[in-house]
Amino acid sequence: MQSSKLIWVIILLCGCLSSCFKEEPLNAECDIESVWVHTDNPDDFFFNRTDTIINVPYSKSEITFYVKRNSDITHMAPMFKITEGATIEPANGSLQDFSRGPVTYKVTSQDKQWNRVYNVAFQERSRTVTDTLKFDFDNYELDKEYGKFYVWYDKNEDGKTTYLWATGNPGFRYAYSTMKDPDRYPTTPIAEGIDGASVKLETRSTGAFGVINNKRIAAGNLFYGFFDTKYVLTETMKSTNFGHPFDKTPIKFEGYYRYKSGDKYQDKNGNEIPGKKDQGSIYSVMYRNHDNAGNEVMLHGDDVLTNPHIVAVARMVDVTGTEDWTKFELDFKYFDNIDETLLNNYGYNLAIVFSSSYEGDHFEGAVGSTLLIDKVRLICKKTE
Amino acid sequence: MICVLLIIATITANAEKLTDNLNYNVRLGYNLGGTAPIGIPSSIRGMDSYDPGWNLSYGFDVQKDIRGPWGVMTGIHLENKGMEVDARVKNYHMEMVQGGQRLEGYFTGNNVVNVEEWLLTVPIMATYHVGGNVKLKLGPYISYAMSHKFYGHAYNGYLREGTPTGDRINLGNTEEQRGSYDFSDDMRRLQFGIDVGADWYFSKRWGAYADLSWGLTGIHKSDFKTIEQTLYPIFGTVGLTYKLK
Repeated sequence: MQSSKLIWVIILLCGCLSSCFKEEPLNAECDIESVWVHTDNPDDFFFNRTDTIINVPYSKSEITFYVKRNSDITHMAPMFKITEGATIEPANGSLQDFSRGPVTYKVTSQDKQWNRVYNVAFQERSRTVTDTLKFDFDNYELDKEYGKFYVWYDKNEDGKTTYLWATGNPGFRYAYSTMKDPDRYPTTPIAEGIDGASVKLETRSTGAFGVINNKRIAAGNLFYGFFDTKYVLTETMKSTNFGHPFDKTPIKFEGYYRYKSGDKYQDKNGNEIPGKKDQGSIYSVMYRNHDNAGNEVMLHGDDVLTNPHIVAVARMVDVTGTEDWTKFELDFKYFDNIDETLLNNYGYNLAIVFSSSYEGDHFEGAVGSTLLIDKVRLICKKTE
Repeated sequence: MICVLLIIATITANAEKLTDNLNYNVRLGYNLGGTAPIGIPSSIRGMDSYDPGWNLSYGFDVQKDIRGPWGVMTGIHLENKGMEVDARVKNYHMEMVQGGQRLEGYFTGNNVVNVEEWLLTVPIMATYHVGGNVKLKLGPYISYAMSHKFYGHAYNGYLREGTPTGDRINLGNTEEQRGSYDFSDDMRRLQFGIDVGADWYFSKRWGAYADLSWGLTGIHKSDFKTIEQTLYPIFGTVGLTYKLK
């Protein structure tokens, strides 16, 4: 009696826990994971073979192929790798005319419950005309998707809006969901600058999530590049993609800054290191964006100053306290000559990095450390 | 349950003096089971590991034979119900919560759940002597959770924030890379359910017993919606009983 009862109990429990597993639900996701185009003469269209394929970050729905001037983009047939089971409209691989602007694609999930809309564009890479690039950080807005934090943009020489500056604000949003005030994010605009607005980078505590995931601080940062939120918890260093293709030879990196170190410098585990002062980071890096095998090279948090493809660096050594706006003027130190052909074919990336805590990428620094930045200039070699 | 109460009521109404011929026994058992939804949703794909934990049940019961084979039993049990489950999930709606900060969305990957409760339980059961030394038991129980913990973490996967089209955040397998939650404060203290079991005396004083207690209340408060499915405690108990009188 006793043992048969026990068997009953076990059968009931096991039955409940295992045989009740239902059939696998259909996929609910509907992402374009990558997109590529095949042409017989890719060199006629693209500066680099790698420009024919784009791995699409999950947070992005605008996809742009950069092509050479006067490329015939009236008959392009992009191929898409999408979430398994999902469908795409217009059809995968269908011929489209991109000369009239971006083409909108709609991806519908396998379970038909969800969809995402993407815009795919083919755009000429416009030449940098001016010899001095000016970044005044007067153009900012709340991010379009969440309206919770600030993003910065520039107006191109041809009037187009470009979003080439990135911050860690999207990552901070995950840690601080209750933060309603965009001005309490690590990277914010402030009204008073050298002229017009300036950017304020402030090292912030990441709260309870920061403690449990041992990422206790978020340094304020602003960089020429792209922030990939996918990696904020895992390979955090990979979330900062430093650099965009650049077709000029930078000579000087200038601008204005103010810096104040926070009171208590803490290590990764949140323990105070008495006597240690925080510092900011200000540097710019030029690097080859392909390796010898033709693979794309992107600098991240762990190699932005050490990657072997770096050809030049302009770096401020001690970014310490200054009460007033102070000018920085840094010369690019070249480790390698610039290959003009490669330069004209966008074979180099330029990265510019500002951070309120120089060891913030390792989650070390002082909460409250503040770096203000304004009127940044990148002076390049004159081209005839 | 009403049925059982009626039976008990009828039996006791026809009974002699209530305190006559009482049997006292103490018991020590091992609780094995889990808290689970009734009808596992398709978003839960499988179980990678299950640790029943070391759940003990100490009990003191009073039993009285009333008429023929029928009787009643009640008592007080101090027991621990817990488990740790590592489940594989796909597009499973969940929320990571820490210190008031929350991150909600659809998670695909592995999800570890730890449940730990210390309960004071009072069963009220009808007993039926089937012959030999075996008594069957059936009746409701009521439990008061003196301590309760419900916590866990999502790992080796990714969360789509808000909806399956939202931002994707990868989760790894170290403490620094996973998403943790703790819903201990959202658990209810008063629980009830149905207990069914059997006592078998193999000697004059010593016996063995097996019970199944099926919770009819979820372990969380009814306004707790973060976990879409209500989780019910379903535990089996096996152990020894000793007749004091």
